[in-house]
Amino acid sequence: MRLSKYVKFREEKFGGVLFETRSEKVFTLNAVATAVVREINSGCDEDEVVKHLKERYEDRDGVVEREARAFVADLREKGLVQD
Amino acid sequence: MTGQATLSPPEPPPAAAGESIAAESSDLGAPLYVAWQVTNECNLACLHCIEESGPGKAFRDELDEEQIFSILEQFMDHQIPYLSFSGGEPMVHPLFFKMVEYVCSRDGELKIETNGHFLTPDNCARLKALGVKAVQVSLDGATRPTFNRMRVRGEFNVAIDGVRNLHAAGVPIEINYSPTCFNVHEIGTAIDLAHELGAYSFYTGRTMYTGNAVKAWHKLALTEEQYVEFFATLHRKTEEYRGRMRVHFHEMGLLEELRYRVQHPAALLIVLPNGLVKLINALPFICGDLRRQSLMDIWANFQRAWKDPRVAQFIDDLATDPGKTSTLHQWVYV
Repeated sequence: MRLSKYVKFREEKFGGVLFETRSEKVFTLNAVATAVVREINSGCDEDEVVKHLKERYEDRDGVVEREARAFVADLREKGLVQD
Repeated sequence: MTGQATLSPPEPPPAAAGESIAAESSDLGAPLYVAWQVTNECNLACLHCIEESGPGKAFRDELDEEQIFSILEQFMDHQIPYLSFSGGEPMVHPLFFKMVEYVCSRDGELKIETNGHFLTPDNCARLKALGVKAVQVSLDGATRPTFNRMRVRGEFNVAIDGVRNLHAAGVPIEINYSPTCFNVHEIGTAIDLAHELGAYSFYTGRTMYTGNAVKAWHKLALTEEQYVEFFATLHRKTEEYRGRMRVHFHEMGLLEELRYRVQHPAALLIVLPNGLVKLINALPFICGDLRRQSLMDIWANFQRAWKDPRVAQFIDDLATDPGKTSTLHQWVYV
């Protein structure tokens, strides 16, 4: 999985931004979403992203996994990532 | 970990840069978009040119090579994701391809805004190889007589060939259209033509009373009734081409746009050919000088400058005197 061709990512103090430069739309990311995109940018697939976040945030109740998978689905739906 | 991972949606109205901005610019560490007018020189002398560009119209103090690449280096070091090169005509600048190469090699998304007269097959192949995001060509007419009337010294068939060359080379194409009283009836066919030529986006809006348009306004101005019909056609064409080509247009007037912008500045810097930085194209205010100040200093001043009372006053004055846009080139430093 990777960011789509025309999508740019930049980290900010509040988290980050995704800029879809074809449609010229900007999406703001909170800290958690930024962590997901950082993992995607490093070449991880969805399962690896979830694994790394679960480890990082000690996900004992499965909340992190649900949030991360929902967010990745949102990115896919908006065409911001591609497999 | 607390809180949901969120992707906040964009919100209307569109940014001057193009579409939608979700984050306030003051929250950002750097601009998201730089629109750089690389030269004021142009091979054409269009009736409506807001920059008053034309042959022999380069600024005397345009940036030299060292300044240009020092500025570009700053932009890329601060991860500005999206730049555009316009003019004047950017492709007449002697360093045009070197600048394109630099931005693309640093992974910047770059749009070229051109009159289409230098889009030879070789140049289009080069732009494709360098990886520009898109080339936007101004086609202010669907026929040769209207196009040539608007684009003084221009030739419709050359511009059309240029767009066809872009398409053949595989470069993403955008078309820009400025309405006037003598081309407005062609808006529908111009959109059809853009699609036939392979464009993925079509941009238009209200033509501004500034630059060359001030002198030529009696030849250009549309009535509100013509604008009503114009926007009705645009709405119809938006639906007709949905999923095949995006039709973008700003229906709101300049005053409404500026009133929104003063509260929500777009994360956009307008760079003039001499390195001065404008708050927004439709205001005369200069918030920095890239020859003397760092990008970060200018970005900080950009935030302050939008709050300068002179900016709000200028916008308020526009409500009673729309002709104030004729003074946009009388720069005011804030």
